[in-house]
Amino acid sequence: MLALVTVSAIFLRWLPQHGLPILLLFTVSAGTAAGIYFTQRRRYSVSSHGIREEMHDADITAVLWTAFAGVLLGALGIGVVLIG
Amino acid sequence: MTNREQPASAPVPPSRGKIAERLLPGGEEPDPRFTLANERTFLAWIRTSLALLAGGIAIEAFTSDLFLEPVRKGLAVVLLLLGMLLSAGSAVRWLRVERSMRNKAPLPLPLIVPLLAAAGALAAAVVLIFILWP
Repeated sequence: MLALVTVSAIFLRWLPQHGLPILLLFTVSAGTAAGIYFTQRRRYSVSSHGIREEMHDADITAVLWTAFAGVLLGALGIGVVLIG
Repeated sequence: MTNREQPASAPVPPSRGKIAERLLPGGEEPDPRFTLANERTFLAWIRTSLALLAGGIAIEAFTSDLFLEPVRKGLAVVLLLLGMLLSAGSAVRWLRVERSMRNKAPLPLPLIVPLLAAAGALAAAVVLIFILWP
């Protein structure tokens, strides 16, 4: 989460050079960080109950969303470097 | 009252979502500690990929007086592309490890390790050449 916040802050450094499209990258990065922050209590609770009951489902949605956010940020960043 | 023992009530497995049924079919739930360890490893790869993304942005934004524009853009694209590939690769690896654990099969080799090593060495070599170039 903190890494995503750091990356979103670094994206803001691009704002003077590349303008408003950077806000899209900032939104994706900061939005993912916010999503992690606001769901961490529930995920921690589910994980600790899973350990206690020896039964825990893999959180596949969270994994796929986090990976997708990374891919999206990379693709948008490459677009900004090459086009912007 | 008979002496037969009542069977201990086995915990009812929670219903899995459609995505989980589709991407992680068959097998049985592994030890939760292993599932959580797999998730932690995935998050470590994601941190690496975010560091590469931040590095790509930093190269493009902060090194305008150090590198020529084509070199700067090339390095930034390499780092951003590597971050992107690593992010996707970490999810694929997480899935493959989870499937192996469900099916009690040997864990797969991490294919993203040679990718990261080769691309990191390439980027370092490019930077070294352009710093030492007269």
